Amino acid sequence: MKKNLPALVAGFAAGVLQVVPVIKSFSCLIILPLAGIFALSLYQKSNKIFTPIDTKTAVITGLMTGLFAALFGTFFEIIITLITKTNDLVYVVNDLYAFIESFPVDETVKSQVIALTEDVVNSIKTTGFSFLYSMSVLVNNLIINPVFAMIGALIGLKFINSKIRNN
Amino acid sequence: MKIKIFLFFLILLWTAGIFIQFFIPGVNELFYALPFVERTYATVCHQQPEKLITVNGFHTLVCARCTGIYLGAFISSFAVLFLKIKNNLNLKYLLIAAVPLAGDVLLYSLGVYPYSKTVAAVTGFLLGSVGFLYIHEGIMNLLKQTNKRN
Repeated sequence: MKKNLPALVAGFAAGVLQVVPVIKSFSCLIILPLAGIFALSLYQKSNKIFTPIDTKTAVITGLMTGLFAALFGTFFEIIITLITKTNDLVYVVNDLYAFIESFPVDETVKSQVIALTEDVVNSIKTTGFSFLYSMSVLVNNLIINPVFAMIGALIGLKFINSKIRNN
Repeated sequence: MKIKIFLFFLILLWTAGIFIQFFIPGVNELFYALPFVERTYATVCHQQPEKLITVNGFHTLVCARCTGIYLGAFISSFAVLFLKIKNNLNLKYLLIAAVPLAGDVLLYSLGVYPYSKTVAAVTGFLLGSVGFLYIHEGIMNLLKQTNKRN
């Protein structure tokens, strides 16, 4: 567990920031790579490593950070939706319908997509939970977050190793 | 070489996803995936409507700057299939590539000039193309270390 503690701390922080309205739109591309760098830096400090870190450690730390960020981020988003019975999708649903109507595709496809969206929005408005929406958020986060946190850790590795070598 | 081709196709798929709206008139079934794909890119970009690249009513799923970053990474992933990139890249190249992007963000945020999609895309492209080389180097080092241990 101690080995994964830096990833857990950084992943938790990234998971929280992912659901904070203003911050999430300001630092979208930055949060996860920075979490990866932060986790690696914590790993180096907590284990008192004074020799260059190997790439495998950086990749695993980045992946774990992204995984924790995905789990915490999804959990917080589901909980907030459950309490408030609203979310980003509910806010933009009218614009979404207008967009779907204006899109040059088959009427059948349009009506099916609108029906599916209505189903999800109604579930959220009435119960605060939609299985389809929650699964799509989870799958999304599980794919995207580890990749971007790993990229951050790989770039952070260069900085950390360069600092270690200079010292 | 296999990993380089895999990386290239992975980035090709990701970059093509940005332009999914442009493909929908040709392949209507892609419309079912649009809400999910939009949500995917929302994880990595603010998607402010005025900053998206719009052509004939279709727009990219990420802003001009992010589009530039991913296109840059895509071009670099194609280039590394044919060019040999030296190992142990100096960090100064990455910092130099990040300066125009950071400068653009700072200057338009301070109101020195208005937001320009072209400038955002070009500065993003520069950082994306250089940044990919460091990710590529990291993955190659990882493979080397794994092969050594085996």
